[in-house]
Parts: sequence; C-alpha cells; structure tokens
Amino acid sequence: MTIVDTSTGKKYPVEILPVESEDFNSLGKVRYFFDWRIERNQEVYKLQMTGSSDILGLVSMERIPNEWRIHIRLLSVSKENKGNGKKYDKIAGNLITHVAKIAVLQFGELACVSLKPKSEIAQHYIDKYNMNVTGMALSIEVPEILDLINLYDHD
Amino acid sequence: MTNKKNITMAENAEYGVDSRYKSDKERESDATVLMEARLIRMKNLSKDQIIRAKLLQLKLKMEEYLKNPVYDNRNYFSEFLESYVDTIYSKRSVFAKDIDIAPVSLSQVINNHREPNEDFIRRLMIHSEMAFKNVCEFHEKTWYQVYFQEKICDTMSSQEKWRPEIEKHVRLSESIKK
Repeated sequence: MTIVDTSTGKKYPVEILPVESEDFNSLGKVRYFFDWRIERNQEVYKLQMTGSSDILGLVSMERIPNEWRIHIRLLSVSKENKGNGKKYDKIAGNLITHVAKIAVLQFGELACVSLKPKSEIAQHYIDKYNMNVTGMALSIEVPEILDLINLYDHD
Repeated sequence: MTNKKNITMAENAEYGVDSRYKSDKERESDATVLMEARLIRMKNLSKDQIIRAKLLQLKLKMEEYLKNPVYDNRNYFSEFLESYVDTIYSKRSVFAKDIDIAPVSLSQVINNHREPNEDFIRRLMIHSEMAFKNVCEFHEKTWYQVYFQEKICDTMSSQEKWRPEIEKHVRLSESIKK
C-alpha cells in the first residue's frame, strides 16, 4: 500500500497497524479531529509511512459477524492531509481498504463494509469508493469491494 | 451560504467522519434495511464473482498465516490447497489432470497422507499464477512460504518428541570459549 505526495507525485509505502495504548495520548482533536481516547476499547488502526512513527490517519471499526459485516465507526486523516491542500493523498482510501481486507478475510464472498457519514459528504464516498447507498447507510460488498482492494493493495 | 458550507464539507470529507450509531434502534433499523438490500445483491452475484472473492479470501488467509504463524496440529498447507482446489473446480480429479498428477496423489496430499514433492509445489505455483492472474496480486513464492513455514512450526512445536533421540547423535567436540 502506498500514499502519494501531492506536490511531487512520489509514492511512499505505508503500513497499517493496530493502535497501541500509549498512542492514544497523542491522538487528540487538534490533529485528528476526534479525541481518539474515546475509542480506546474499540478496534482501532493507524496508518504510518513505513519506517516512520508519525500517524497520518486513523480508523476504528466494529465487527458484526452475524451480518458478515464490518462497520466503520470513526475515520480521519491528520489535519495537514485534509482538503485541497493536503500533503499526502490516498490515506483514507488505504484505511478503508484495510477494513475491506479484514472483511473479506473473515467473511469471503459475503463480506461487507458499512459507513454512515453525514449526508453532505456521502456523495464523496459513493463517487470515490463506489459505495452502495442503502437507506441512510453506505456499504461496499462483492464485487466492488474486490476492485477497491485491488486498486489500493499493492506493494 | 449552505452551498459554500457543503463544498467545504466535501473537501474535508475524509477529516473526521463520525459513523457511529447513536442508538440501538438506529443500529437495528440500519441492519435490517442493509441486510435486505444485500441479500438481493448477493443473489445476483455471478459464479465468477464468488470465485474471485473466495480466491482473494484464500490469499489473505495465507498472508495472515505467514505473518502470524500458528503452532498447532493443523496442516495449513493441505487446508489451503483443499480450499484452492475446491474453489476453482467442482471435481478435484480435473485439477489433478490440469497439473498432470494422479488424482490419488492429490488426494493423499490434501488428506495429509503424503508430503507434496518439489514438482507438485512447482506445478501448483504455476497453476496459481494462471488462476490469480485476473483476480489479485499473488506472489509466486506464497505456496513455498506456507509449506516451509509449516515445517518450521511443526519442528519447533514437536521438539519434545524428536529431540531426545536426535540429541543422542549430536555433540560438540571442539570447545568454544566465551
């Protein structure tokens, strides 16, 4: 998986790892929109450039095995990577893909990742990640989930 | 004003997405609607789409095993092989034919009655290159890695059994000082 430096177009490999308890102290609102300590008891992953400990994005999720589904709870890139002036691109895409890979690993052809963003930003996820709209929720399943993984999951 | 606000929100669409359910009622309602829609979409999946999903799942399972090896009595190479063959073929004998081995040999490997030989793994490697070509990236060394990872796990976890006998045949006649 890689992210792209928007000013040079250069790609950098990244790794996505579980957040460790000591990380939470530095995951505050100022840089990561939420105080991520509220997710201390959830399954939370961080994205870092390989070889760096600087966290560029975070996602928390809930596994719902009886529905073959993983629901994304919170998602955020770091402040300097938001909007049109972002330093690196593809951070959120890699985090969503990481969740998608866990869903396929666990549920195979029944895998589903769901998300329930505010209506103002839902279109972004529909357009960029090819998510389906079902009621108020967005979801991605087979076959689109396979395309997403293939798009982002490269060495 | 609202339009300007929406544009800003869209620009920041990946900064601070709160997707948590606010109540059990909301969670249940969403689950029901989503499941109904998904079941319809699942019914429309083609056989190829299901095979692609299962192969990707298999690849992810193999990668997971390589990242976090498990020291137990299960035979992971055989299990992954069985899953691979049964995902693609309705009859195992057709796979055996495709890699030019006797069906009984395949059966013995899958059922842990014999070890796969070098030729078997090489043919499996080439077959997987063909099968995964239009599915996802699949490193050619993956089957080998699983095979040898399992050997390491088996050897390390069964030392109580083999070590006493083997130790009888090993000594260090030259002294090595600290």
